Amino acid sequence: MALRRLAGNRLALLVAAVIAYALAAWAVAPGFYDGIAPPQPYRWVSPPPQFRSNNQQPLPGHGTVRVASNGTVDPGTVFTQDGQASISFVPGAFVAPADRSPVTIDIKPVPSYPDPGSTHVATNVYCVTSTSPPAAGRDLLVSLQFSDQFPAPSDVYEYQADGPWKKIGSTGTAAPFSIAARATSLGCFAGGYPADAGRTAQGPRVSGGQTLPIIVALAIVVVVLAGIPLAVLRRRGGGGDEEEGSG
Amino acid sequence: MRFPSLALPGAPVRAVGLAIMAVGLEWARVLALRTPDLQAVTLVAGGAALCLLGVGHQPAELGLERTRLAERLVGGLALAGILLLPAAVRWGGGPGLGPAFGVAAVVVSVGEEIAYRGAIFRALEEVFGPAAAILGSTAAWTLAHALSHPPAFLPAVAAAGLLLAAWRWAVRDLVGPIVGHVLADLAL
Repeated sequence: MALRRLAGNRLALLVAAVIAYALAAWAVAPGFYDGIAPPQPYRWVSPPPQFRSNNQQPLPGHGTVRVASNGTVDPGTVFTQDGQASISFVPGAFVAPADRSPVTIDIKPVPSYPDPGSTHVATNVYCVTSTSPPAAGRDLLVSLQFSDQFPAPSDVYEYQADGPWKKIGSTGTAAPFSIAARATSLGCFAGGYPADAGRTAQGPRVSGGQTLPIIVALAIVVVVLAGIPLAVLRRRGGGGDEEEGSG
Repeated sequence: MRFPSLALPGAPVRAVGLAIMAVGLEWARVLALRTPDLQAVTLVAGGAALCLLGVGHQPAELGLERTRLAERLVGGLALAGILLLPAAVRWGGGPGLGPAFGVAAVVVSVGEEIAYRGAIFRALEEVFGPAAAILGSTAAWTLAHALSHPPAFLPAVAAAGLLLAAWRWAVRDLVGPIVGHVLADLAL
């Protein structure tokens, strides 16, 4: 009987773990992701001469975000299909449509753009549009990959309509060969650096933006860590039938 | 002539030390990856270093037994299916792994399983019991990914660690988590 109960406990824990994983993984796209960075050849809209023969065109991205029951637009991240550009946002980052219809976000690489002047554009230029405007006072996190064959960009630059370009900085990112910055409005984005600057180094930086996911992650870690002393106390108290047998 | 005996650290210190070493190795690997050169080699070296944390244990202590091997492999496939399902349902294309990074993904996956669900799990279980082993190895695994992952992914990372640790305890098996983890890393 005890063995049967133990087997039941194990099955119950496994089922609970599967459900927890499904819920957590569903909250972010693509889901499971182990950080093995795949620096595939950068896809250029207009490839440099040495990459013209093997270049693949960059892909656009499209995402839909629903309006939650409390009337705010859900948080999320929209990637281009090749992963070269993404935009992340916190809850309420977009104005909720009056009819509570989902907000659609598109990221598109563009072949032509205003003259960047004294700035060297080191990535493709990606234009981001949405069916509902960003909410005032809420930042969006724009992340752009760049080629490992060229100097790393120092900042993210943005322009709207016909320009001009303006520097919006860099918040740092944990992913190799990528740069990120907070934007207060949608527009067209690219990584770049002053044309007269030499190669810029990509130093160690910590991810920025997205306060809510950080809080959630910390909460999970705290719960897990708090569970250890509780488990120890339970064991010392002789409670729990999770004592296991061998193989 | 008698040699002075080496005082081995106590089991709790060993368990915590293993966790700190594993997290430190992962962070060092992530920081080394910021250098554009030799990324695949860095990944392989980091994964191999994690494998070393299993040295000194009998395979059975880590959950690496040959009995019921077919069941363990099938279990690994099931784990891979579960890990990949949320991505598969919504998959819209994305970058894949080249051969060099494929090899690196295998070494890193095996290393992480031997370190977290193998050595750290075993050390914590020995001292504090299975619940602490599951929760502690999951906490170390999540912490180890804090530098390499955007914050939004950490809850999913934690949940994946919990799932793999739950399997390790429930089935007394590390082959399944290794197979599931390797396949998931290769697929994404």
